[in-house]
Amino acid sequence: MELVSLVRLEGVAKHVILPDDSRLDILRDIELAIAAGDHVAIVGRSGSGKSTLLNLMGMLDRPSEGAVWFRGEPVRKMRRGKLDKLRGRNVGFVFQQFNLLAGRTALENVEMPLGYASGRSFWNRRRTATAMLERVGLGHRIDSTPEQLSGGEQQRVAIARALVRRPALILADEPTGALDVETGGSVMALLDAIASEADAALVTITHDLHVAARARRHYRLEAGVLTPFDLSAPAAGAAAAAAYDRIGIAPELAESVGGPLSGEQPLAEASTSEDELAADAVEVAS
Amino acid sequence: MTGLVGALGEAWSELRHHKLRVLLSLIGIAVSVGALTAVVALSEYQQQQMAEQSDVSGGRPATVSISAGRTDGSPMDWQAFDAHVAQVSERYSFTYQTRLVNNATVDIQTPEQVRSVGAWLVDPAYPIIHRTPLLEGRWFQDADAELLAPPVVITEALWDVYGRPALGGGFALQLQGDAGGSYTVIGVTPKQYDGDNEKRVVMLFDSYRSRVEQLSADTPVMWEVWMPEAEVADIGPLLAADLRAGLDKSVDVTVSRTDWASRPEMQNSSAMFEMITGAIAGLVLLLGGLGLVNIQLVAMRQRIREIGVRRSFGATGGRIFTSVLLESVVATAVAGVIGIALAVAILKAPFVLTMFQGMQDIPPFPMRAAVTGLIAAVAIGALAGFIPALMAVRSNVIDALRF
Repeated sequence: MELVSLVRLEGVAKHVILPDDSRLDILRDIELAIAAGDHVAIVGRSGSGKSTLLNLMGMLDRPSEGAVWFRGEPVRKMRRGKLDKLRGRNVGFVFQQFNLLAGRTALENVEMPLGYASGRSFWNRRRTATAMLERVGLGHRIDSTPEQLSGGEQQRVAIARALVRRPALILADEPTGALDVETGGSVMALLDAIASEADAALVTITHDLHVAARARRHYRLEAGVLTPFDLSAPAAGAAAAAAYDRIGIAPELAESVGGPLSGEQPLAEASTSEDELAADAVEVAS
Repeated sequence: MTGLVGALGEAWSELRHHKLRVLLSLIGIAVSVGALTAVVALSEYQQQQMAEQSDVSGGRPATVSISAGRTDGSPMDWQAFDAHVAQVSERYSFTYQTRLVNNATVDIQTPEQVRSVGAWLVDPAYPIIHRTPLLEGRWFQDADAELLAPPVVITEALWDVYGRPALGGGFALQLQGDAGGSYTVIGVTPKQYDGDNEKRVVMLFDSYRSRVEQLSADTPVMWEVWMPEAEVADIGPLLAADLRAGLDKSVDVTVSRTDWASRPEMQNSSAMFEMITGAIAGLVLLLGGLGLVNIQLVAMRQRIREIGVRRSFGATGGRIFTSVLLESVVATAVAGVIGIALAVAILKAPFVLTMFQGMQDIPPFPMRAAVTGLIAAVAIGALAGFIPALMAVRSNVIDALRF
C-alpha cells in the first residue's frame, strides 16, 4: 500500500535522566508512518511508552534522538509558536479521562479549539461547534456541563472537540479506558465513523483488544520497541495469543478479537470452552 | 485580532466560571480603588473649600489690592486719591473693581439701645470678588446707590438682635450720627463659624459718601481689582507704575496680590493631604493585589491540566500568558469600575456634603480621580496576573496531561 505520509517517525528514541543519573529509555528506534485516512492501533502495557509515543506524534514532545516529520516537514526545526499552531490546526486529541474543561458547557468545550483558529473559523466557532455536537448526537445537551453528562456523553463531547477543527490526525489515548464495554463500543464506532467522514487519520492507543480490532493496522509497543503485527492473518489467533501473552493479555481475549477480522473461521483454533466469551466479544465489538 | 478577542473571551469566561472566587478576591481591590478615587476627589473638594474660604478673605485669583499712605505723617486725602485710582483704572477697563473701607463705625438704633457697630463700605463688585456667601436676601446692584433708603447687608449676629425679621417687609436699620437715616436691609451674611458674634453692616461706599461729607483721614481706603490670573503678572507692575506716576513723593502706593493662589503653601498642604491619604490607599491596593496573586497562584495549580488541554488544542504560550494575564486585568478593571462607583456614592453621601458645608461650587466628580483609580486597578491586575501567567506558560504540557 503506497502511503503519503502525514506523520513519520524515523529512528525516534526518547529517554530521560533519572535523579540517580541513570538513563531510562522510554522509546527505542521507532519507525512509524501514518498516512492520511489511515487507522492505526497501538497496543501495549501500562508504562510501555504509549503515551510518550502519542505525545511525539502530536508534537507535544520532542524526541531525544531521531526525527519526526509532519507532512514532510521536520518538526525539530519548527519554532514553538508555529508548532502550537500546526498542532491546533492538524491534530485532535481524545483522552482517556476526557479532559473536558470543568464547569464549562459542552458547547464551550467544543468551541475551545476554534478559539485558537483565525479568520472565519474563529468568528463562526459557535455555529461550527453546535453542528459538531449535533453530529455526535448531543444537540440537545449543548448547555450541559461535564458534571451533568454521563461518561459516554463526555467522551462524545471530547470527540466533537477533537474533530471540530477538521484535523488531519486524531490521536486517541485509551479513548474507552474510563467507559464500560458497551459504551466504549458505541463511542469507538462514532469516532471511527467521524474520522472516516473527515478522512482523518486515527491513531488509537489502547490495551483493549476490541478497540484495537477496529484499526486497519496494528502495532505492539513493548519495552519501548514498536513492532507491527497482523491481526487479520489466518493464523491470527495463535499469533495474537502469543503476542498478547507477551504483553500480558489473556490469549482467549486475543483470539476473540482476532475472530471477526479473520474471516470465515475466526474461532476455529479456539477451544470450545472459550466460544461463549469470544461470541460476546464479537457482539460488543460490532 | 482574533488572538486578542479570543484571549479576552477566554479570560471573561474564566471569570464567569469562578464568580465566587473572583468576587472574594476582588473585594479588597474594589475597596482600595474606591478609597483611592474618593481620596483624590475629596482632596479636590477640600481644595475647593479651602479656595472658597480664602476667596472670602483674600479674593478670588487673581485679586490685586491697592493701598496707599503718606510717609510724611500728614493726613491722606482719600477723596483725591480715589479720583486718581478711578482715573488710572479707567485705562484698564477692569470689570470687577471695588473700594473697601473696613474700619468705619456707625451708630444704629437696636430695639434696646443705640449701639456702635462696625461698618464696611464697598462697591457692588466686592461680594463677587470675595465670593461672600449670603444667608438670606441679595447683594448690591449698581442702581442701589441711588435709592433714597440705601440698602445694607448685615451679619447674622446683627440680624439676631432684631429677632430675624423677614427681609423685603420693610425691615430697615435706623442709623444715627453723620450717616444717619433709614437703611433698607436687603441681605444677611451667615455666621462664619459657630459662635461668630460679629455685628456688622456692609453698605455701599457711594451711599455712605453721599451722606458723609468727608472721609476721615484715619479711615484708610483700599481698592481691589479682580483680573484674569493669566494677565496679572503683566498688568500688576504696569498698574503700580501708573498709580505712582504724578503723585507727590510722600505718597506711598502698594499694589499686591491678596488671593490664595499667590501663596504656594496652601497648595502644598492640599498636595500633602492627597499624598498621605493616597499612599495609604495605594498600600491597601497593594495588599489587595498580593491577595489576588496568592489566590491566582493557588488556582493556577488546579488549572495546570486545563492549560495542558488548551496547549494540546493549539494554544500558543503567548496566548496562554495573555489569557491568564487578562483574567487578572479584566477582573481588577471590573473591580476598579465598582470601586469608582463606590467612590461616587461616597461623595454623594449626605455626611460628606455636611463635611463640606458652605461650599458654593461643588466640583463635578473629578475625572482625574476616576482615571487614577482605573489605572491603579489595571496596573495592580497586570502585576498580580504576571506571576500566575508565567507559571501557566512554564508548565509542562505533558506532565499537565498525565494524571
